[in-house]
Amino acid sequence: MANKYDVAILGGGPGGYVAAIRAAQLGFKTVVIDKDNLGGICLNWGCIPTKSLIKNAELYDVMKNHAKDFGITVEGLSYDFSAIIKRSRKIADRISKSVDYLIRKNEVVRVKGFGKLLSKNEIGIFDTEGKQTEIIEADKIILATGASPKIVPPIPVDREFIITSKEAMSLPEQPESLIVIGAGAIGVEFAYFYHTFGTKVTIIEMLDNILPIEDEEVSKTLETNFKKSGMEIYTSTRVDKAVVVDGEVVVTIEKDGEKKELRASKVLSAIGVSGNISGLGLEDVGVEVERGHIKVNYETYQTNIDSIYAIGDVIGAPWLAHVASAEAITCIERIKGMEVASVDYGKIPGCTYCQPQVASIGLTEQKAKEEGYEIKIGKFPFSASGKAFASGDREGFVKLIFDAKYGELLGAHIIGSEATELIAEAGLAISMEATHESIIKTIHAHPTLSEAVMEAAANAYGESIHI
Amino acid sequence: MRVEVIMPKMGESIHEGTLIKWHKKKGDKVSKDEIIFEIATDKVDTEIPSSVDGILAEIKVFENETVDIDTVVAIIETDSESAEPAPKKEVVKDPAEDLQTTTKVGGNLIDVVMPKMGESVMEGTIIKWHKSVGDKVERDEILFEIATDKVDTEVPAISAGTLVEIFVKENETVDVETVVGRISSEGGLVKGKESEIRSQKSEEEILETTAKETVLGENSILPADKAGVKSETEKQSHPIGESNRFYSPLVLNIARKEGISFDELESLSGTGVGGRVSKRDILAYLKDRKSGKVFEQKATKVEVEKGTAQKDGVEIIPMDNIRKRIMQHMLNSRDTSVHVTAITEVEMTIIDKFLKEKKKKFMEEDGVKLTFLSFIARATVKALREYPMMNASLEGENILLKKFVNLGIAVAIEPNGLIVPNIKNADEINTKGLSRAIADLGFRARNKKLLPDEISGGTFSITNYGVFGSLFGTPIINQPEVGILGVGAVVKKPVVVTIDDVDSIAIKPMMYLSLSHDHRLVDGLLGGKFLKYVKDYLENFDTSKV
Repeated sequence: MANKYDVAILGGGPGGYVAAIRAAQLGFKTVVIDKDNLGGICLNWGCIPTKSLIKNAELYDVMKNHAKDFGITVEGLSYDFSAIIKRSRKIADRISKSVDYLIRKNEVVRVKGFGKLLSKNEIGIFDTEGKQTEIIEADKIILATGASPKIVPPIPVDREFIITSKEAMSLPEQPESLIVIGAGAIGVEFAYFYHTFGTKVTIIEMLDNILPIEDEEVSKTLETNFKKSGMEIYTSTRVDKAVVVDGEVVVTIEKDGEKKELRASKVLSAIGVSGNISGLGLEDVGVEVERGHIKVNYETYQTNIDSIYAIGDVIGAPWLAHVASAEAITCIERIKGMEVASVDYGKIPGCTYCQPQVASIGLTEQKAKEEGYEIKIGKFPFSASGKAFASGDREGFVKLIFDAKYGELLGAHIIGSEATELIAEAGLAISMEATHESIIKTIHAHPTLSEAVMEAAANAYGESIHI
Repeated sequence: MRVEVIMPKMGESIHEGTLIKWHKKKGDKVSKDEIIFEIATDKVDTEIPSSVDGILAEIKVFENETVDIDTVVAIIETDSESAEPAPKKEVVKDPAEDLQTTTKVGGNLIDVVMPKMGESVMEGTIIKWHKSVGDKVERDEILFEIATDKVDTEVPAISAGTLVEIFVKENETVDVETVVGRISSEGGLVKGKESEIRSQKSEEEILETTAKETVLGENSILPADKAGVKSETEKQSHPIGESNRFYSPLVLNIARKEGISFDELESLSGTGVGGRVSKRDILAYLKDRKSGKVFEQKATKVEVEKGTAQKDGVEIIPMDNIRKRIMQHMLNSRDTSVHVTAITEVEMTIIDKFLKEKKKKFMEEDGVKLTFLSFIARATVKALREYPMMNASLEGENILLKKFVNLGIAVAIEPNGLIVPNIKNADEINTKGLSRAIADLGFRARNKKLLPDEISGGTFSITNYGVFGSLFGTPIINQPEVGILGVGAVVKKPVVVTIDDVDSIAIKPMMYLSLSHDHRLVDGLLGGKFLKYVKDYLENFDTSKV
């Protein structure tokens, strides 16, 4: 006999577990299925454990390189790499348990096992040996199976020498040298982490800039910063192949038609992710797939099968936990028949947690121009901020892009200390359709880094006081 | 002109530069290509020449300071007249300026208002301020003198303290109760409207604020900048209407810049969070409006919003926006005007005969469909010219006499709409032209193609319920007008005619006209005269001048 539910959710990451809780809140009898711990990549192998590692790096960097600036003497400074990894793992475990608690609290049924679509209303549950243990029947099925690191033939991941982000956050020993292929947020964060602890790091990026989706000015600033700290960076560079030779990886790169070989003890492949779509029974039930992700209607998240929905990384870019959660809530509320606004994909913040941090929302300068806006740009360097001065974080700037016609904040780009926290104000401003006046006339506490946001807005209109 | 001198970009990877030496001082003349400063970057050191002739008006970056590229390091004034490098400090020390930029404050703020000097006095002119900003005043000490149309008098201070602000200057006239100045009860100086908030702060906080501004405010605000800020604020402070709905600053900005009226904004449906009107909604509306689809959108909206419910055999239908607006307008009119209606009967023989003979000819030759209504419209504008009080409106206790006639024509729109577009300068148009204008407005109103301008600014209206066969009615005035003419059906009736003192009964085309007028302004005398004028004009219509 099948167990019957209103809503069955396959995958317990930030898309799936949020959908499950929201569904339960709205009175649906809900089940969430995941083969692993709840929390998905984000909590277990992504956002959270890497933030733990980054914090170690920041502390170490301050103690090693800046203690003197603060008049602090540090002697015999050292670290235990395995303890650093252990702390990160422990945090991931703890936070996954708190998701378990939330799931229980909301009376969502939790099923552990592999789930596979059997029909448009049925999911079969299989154990690790591939034996079917249960059939779940549901009116609505939500696929939230996430994504995995993309693997391409020239870079054959063996998880020992050529690794993905998952191995990179749980290495038993610190590598002497590391080549990071792909300078998106994941690549850049690991590059920062390992470089800070003394690994010789080389970044290779195919596009013209590191963090290529960010505003060019921000990317260039970060690149200069990384280079100054001793990292080697190759942009506009293609990786021909990576091969393991005598316990080290040889990477052949090509830049401007010239080939070159680089060697390192490990290679991190961070070239992107692709949706987890295999083994789900999509073909059997006839769920449409398009270029590696499940095809949905981006208003309702319905697939071509009316009882089956999909959210999060498995439906494609922008592969962000907060987007998956937003889609989860919208999807469930629409199923409930509530009239809710659609997710606005133009207003999603993105954060990279290296130092200096990078955060942005909305259009880059280049994109705004491409879209035909006449723009006004306001910039405020942290070197003019009293708070940044006091904390010794004078690098970076806030750059705001306004539509000259109506004063709309089109985009915000921040590089510097706490950029990832500062972006929230711009997010609120953009989603509430605030104008430059709204930001300039909002009193910002002094002394804070957030004053830089206000000053940047004022700067765009020639009213900045402190530059 | 003020030219900004920036920290140049000295290479692809260079993001900042250090200004190592200024070759010129503030106020110095500089020529084009003359070296003005030297910079050092991590790649190169170089000398920077001026790009223009002028005077170095401002130095923003000092020697040994490092700034990002593109940062403004100096300002060169190219216009030598205004370039006289007005020393900033002097500007700040200008007494008036000084007071307005000071932020220190203490005590309570008391508004000083234009007093009401009598029942019918609505405004007053300040003829002299006895105190200036910053002066101490005693309670009951004369503060200023005013002149009104009834009396001139001196106004004493209602509280002791310091006069901290003057809003209304000498020789300016303002409504009574307008705040003309402010007194701070315990002394101190304040700045603009911040005063109210700041006065709540403790002395220490204020000191800290002041200190902060001193520390970080390396550059004083130039008067020009400040004026800029101020005008922005003023613009902000003019809400375009009162509403229970929230509009984002961006939506309001778009409405303001694109001339979307508050009523139009209120009629939009929103797709944003909580049904809020978003940028997308208003831009879509704008697009529709430009392509003349505006009213169509409203019509479809009615369908969307309908959503009916059944309860005990009674169907509950939420009103659509058009219905709500009509309801509000009618209630508003009833509550505003004192309606009285006078009725007269008009013999339409001349016009009826003319129409029978010439209607076809006009249609064929000019493409104009002549109707009774166009003759009535013609008679009405003539009457409005004769009795301009009927072409007026009221604002408080003022009569606004319009020197132009914008004649409103009520148009019913199936199934559930009513709109009153008006013919601009109808007094400059002959009967044929009026006929054409009425047909055009009616057609476009029914096809939702009216422009916003055409439904505002009317001065008097005509409503033609005669087309439905009604004989007479008591129309509701279209605010803010003071009169509306109701046109009944033209029907053949037996009437008594007197020829050579002999009464007999004849059959004539007859029509009732009813005039509703606002008794606040128009009494029965004027109403009667106006109606009589229209009647006489129609009964003796000079059809040679159609």
